[in-house]
Amino acid sequence: MTAAIAADGISKAFHTGLWGPAKQVLTDIDLQVASGAIFGVLGPNGAGKTTLISILATLLRPDTGRATVLGFDVVREAARLKERINLAASGAHFLWCLTVEDNLKFYGRLYGLGGRRLRDRVASLLELFGLGEFRQTTFERLSTGLKQRLALAKALINDPELLFLDEPTSGLDQDMAQHIREEILRLNRETGVTMLLTTHNLREAEMLCTEVAFLKQGRLVTGGRIPDLQKRLGLGDHLSLHFQDSPAPLDYARLPGVLTHRVADSRVELVLDRADERLPAILEAIFLTDKKLARIKVKPVDLEEIYREVTH
Amino acid sequence: MKLPTSFYKFWAFSVRSTMVNRRNVFAVFEMLFWPLIGIFSVGLLTRFLNLKADTVSFILIGAVTMNTVQIAQLDLSYALLYSVWSKSLKHEFIAPINLSHILVGSGLVGLLRGFLVFVIMGALSIFFFDMDLGKPGPDGLLWFLLGMFLNAAIIGALVLALVLRFGQRAEVAAWAFSYLMLLLCGLYYPISVLPKSFQVLAHFIPLTYFLDYFRHFYGFPLAWPHPLLYGFGQSVIYLFLSYGLVSLTLRSAYKRGTLLRLSD
Repeated sequence: MTAAIAADGISKAFHTGLWGPAKQVLTDIDLQVASGAIFGVLGPNGAGKTTLISILATLLRPDTGRATVLGFDVVREAARLKERINLAASGAHFLWCLTVEDNLKFYGRLYGLGGRRLRDRVASLLELFGLGEFRQTTFERLSTGLKQRLALAKALINDPELLFLDEPTSGLDQDMAQHIREEILRLNRETGVTMLLTTHNLREAEMLCTEVAFLKQGRLVTGGRIPDLQKRLGLGDHLSLHFQDSPAPLDYARLPGVLTHRVADSRVELVLDRADERLPAILEAIFLTDKKLARIKVKPVDLEEIYREVTH
Repeated sequence: MKLPTSFYKFWAFSVRSTMVNRRNVFAVFEMLFWPLIGIFSVGLLTRFLNLKADTVSFILIGAVTMNTVQIAQLDLSYALLYSVWSKSLKHEFIAPINLSHILVGSGLVGLLRGFLVFVIMGALSIFFFDMDLGKPGPDGLLWFLLGMFLNAAIIGALVLALVLRFGQRAEVAAWAFSYLMLLLCGLYYPISVLPKSFQVLAHFIPLTYFLDYFRHFYGFPLAWPHPLLYGFGQSVIYLFLSYGLVSLTLRSAYKRGTLLRLSD
């Protein structure tokens, strides 16, 4: 599969004031994003996510390194690249006194759309994002959720091949955030548009992203497909064993595939390298002790654990 | 007919400026109220001082010029300030536009608004103060208007550069720049009354020459043999320089992260 984004050794520092010291924000970032993927850049606040997305979106020049997006160099071929990309950011901000329709038309014109093409495009986006009844409402009168929907609609005005989503659900209530996530998935599924998404909401990344990368203090600490990361980091599945009375008297640490274990009252918590492979042997060992199990629960490792692992 | 995509990019900024002006009661206020105050306060002062007709014309030309240039430069100066105030700057600059789209698109609306102010003030001058603004004829009016609009464009471009460098704090510059220029170019007085060092500065302001050219139709002798040549020559040079300055500031904004900071 061709890479929609390829970054090589990207670094960026910001100076405070004219002669102030430089603060390193990104250091030597290498990144590959496959065409058609939804790629998540994760990290705590201040990790450099927005800086990275801004460099790739041609809004900021890197100090060193090189990046291509859709095959175009983000610095030297920015003008041609801008035709093919777009951005939706958290806390949507547009001109307060323009209506929803006027804002979309303004951005449409910036991409060279006009006449019937512009009218049709705006009409289809208003319909797609359920903004039809608000077309004549000025931006300042929209609710936060509607503003965010407008931000997404604006991001699609030029039918981009690659979309940058900078914390697209930040500040939205649960229902609206979920709605936006479903829209993102639908867009990716139906149009095949590649998306680079930054978030610190791990559940969101888990739901949306095919691949993730973790940023910590401006450095890319790890990345890849979520199951691959699990394997690489030695993070396993969670196995909860609830016994009817007391736990089976076993040396749990010596059971096959056990990475960590914890015994509490009638419950034993194990972290296994691979639950599907190890479960039969563990259950057999318990069976031999004559202890009765009340309940078994298996939970695959989640992104939050990977996040904890790589950012602490 | 299929228009080139660039046309729509210019048009985007023209339409936006028009809409903001139309929907903002203060913008309408700004365009009508101050010019009215300007022409009446200056006109009534000349009446109180019992000045001769040619001196009244001299001063009223200054009042008309000041308001025309002020209003004409506003749309250009505000072109980026609208984006800074609405924190949408990054959305504009992620689009495939260049500086000329912003400058020409917004500048055209400024030109139209400036022209409207000139016509209104001219009509009021004729009606209330017997000063014939049409005396120089179509050619004289055209050159003078063109000169004023070029000066407005230079001020607007310089303000754009300041906005890209300093953000909202540069708002005050939108007014300060033009007032400073107008003070030095001999708006209500011949530049010979300025202190010597300021007279030298006045020679570097194109509007000085355009005022000199326009006033000669009202019987005032030309201070320079070819005022239009000096005026347009300087204007073209300054326009190129200010365009270069805005381009450099934009390049620096891409490096320093100013576009992002102004969108936060």
